[in-house]
Amino acid sequence: MNKYNPPRMNPSSLRSRFATRFLRSLSKINAKKPTASSSSPTEIFRRYRRIKVAADKSMAYSVRSRRTWSRAMLWKLRTRPCCRRSVKTSTIVRKTRHEKQNKNTTTTTGEDGVVFGVEADELRELVPGGEAMDLYNLLDETAHYIKCLTTQVQVMKKIADFYSP
Amino acid sequence: MASENNDDDMGLAMSSISMFNKPSNTSDPFFSSGWDPIVSQSESLAGSSMASHHHLVMENHGICGTSHVSQYQPDPSFVELVPKLSSFDGGNFFQMVGPLGLPQCNQIANNRCPPNYALYVEGGNERGLTNALPSLDEHRISEEGLVGSSPNGMIRKRAPESDSPLRSCKNGDEEPRMDLSSEGCDGRKEQDGKKQKIEQNTGGNSRGKQAAKQDKDGSQSGEAPKENYIHVRARRGQATNSHSLAERVRREKISERMRLLQELVPGCNKITGKAVMLDEIINYVQSLQQQVEFLSMKLATVNPELNLELDRILSKDILHTRSGSAAALGFGPGTNSSHAFSPGIFPGTTSGIPNANVQFPPLPQTVLDNELQNLFQMGFYSGSTMDGFGPNGLSSLFRRSIKTGDVMRKKLHKKKEEEA
Repeated sequence: MNKYNPPRMNPSSLRSRFATRFLRSLSKINAKKPTASSSSPTEIFRRYRRIKVAADKSMAYSVRSRRTWSRAMLWKLRTRPCCRRSVKTSTIVRKTRHEKQNKNTTTTTGEDGVVFGVEADELRELVPGGEAMDLYNLLDETAHYIKCLTTQVQVMKKIADFYSP
Repeated sequence: MASENNDDDMGLAMSSISMFNKPSNTSDPFFSSGWDPIVSQSESLAGSSMASHHHLVMENHGICGTSHVSQYQPDPSFVELVPKLSSFDGGNFFQMVGPLGLPQCNQIANNRCPPNYALYVEGGNERGLTNALPSLDEHRISEEGLVGSSPNGMIRKRAPESDSPLRSCKNGDEEPRMDLSSEGCDGRKEQDGKKQKIEQNTGGNSRGKQAAKQDKDGSQSGEAPKENYIHVRARRGQATNSHSLAERVRREKISERMRLLQELVPGCNKITGKAVMLDEIINYVQSLQQQVEFLSMKLATVNPELNLELDRILSKDILHTRSGSAAALGFGPGTNSSHAFSPGIFPGTTSGIPNANVQFPPLPQTVLDNELQNLFQMGFYSGSTMDGFGPNGLSSLFRRSIKTGDVMRKKLHKKKEEEA
């Protein structure tokens, strides 16, 4: 008895949004590469970087701007050094101001800041955009970030399994 | 006399509750603005002789106009009740509101007040109210019983209730009216102990509505400091300083979040203590990020003979496969259940490929591949955390999979080369 019944998936769920976007970008990346040099390590490394960026970007776009971490990630991706656009200068200016604001708001008040001092900082480094948040919002963002990361991992795993059984 | 007073109470309660009801769907500043003129008006009425009926009607219309009346139904009935304020003693205003405030709130919440008001209006006089009273009596008695009990005990029972839904009840539908009524009671008059009791009752009833914590210092009553919007009651034996109250609320919110995270992160059910929990969370997030990197590396090395059909099939497969399947695969490494389960997944993918030369993989190979997946899924996590985290078979799995996972190993090496 095959009990594998594909259930009706929510078409606008995070997973579906991410999957479609990522597959699209993946096909674009794969379409670009010439098959000749595909096996050289440098080429593979470049592809790896591009795929990783594509994965992060699709995840951030799937979440839109609803979450602080997605906004921070999108923003980080836009101002990558390899992104050569003319808009870069204005974004850099905004970045420094933004960073300054981040630094000003990082001072955590209250006893909870003392209790979670070291770990909270580590978490802030891990979660994109976590520098400017107090502990409560940081935990909130972390929860959503974990959920999105697990979705990402699952989808990518399925894709990888699909291509290399 | 007593019955008349009762009727006055009811009338006043009705009018006051109708006041409560009126700005129920608006934000609090509106309510406060709507409340003040009414209170002052009633006070002035009580203090002096009654103003003319029309005068009252006009003022009330004005008040109705200022606050958001769109949600307020029984306007005309409310207006007619106002003249009954005349024979009312202002000093006992809140006293009378108190015991009846609760049943009225309940009724409002159940949306039964308008018909009651209509009844009262049709009654025309105060006797009509008594006729309509029996419908409320059951509520009133129950609430009065509660009121009669010690406020401390009741509030202590309700304090956790008010605290816990703090984060979730920001859109409390049936509660906002009670919130506003309590705020109205809180609001402007500091009368006597009974009033404080009423505050406590309604405050205990209310849920934290809008997270804007405004007046945290206990300006309303000297007995216990209360916030306007999130009604936190100081527990017995705890500091009632406003700062400590705020800290307590914050700590509870944070612990609530930690509990949520505990559910998200696998294997953290037994961990108590925030520091250890945070460490676990950090490790988990790190492992997830590493997994993403590894998978993207794997995808980079895989040479895809891509067709669009494959993409479509793949997306369908991804979307339709429940996330539980991965988890199920992850936790049944050597058992028969996984053997039975995995072929269910793979035929779905392999049969879909039109022109691939893929043979259907033999069962042990499939199982090992699944185990590989499980391994990487768990290995990343357990590798970065304490050892012996997973089942005992993990190490043997690891050894076995290393022998058979040639492709994986090559990719790992490549990754290490490129990243070194």
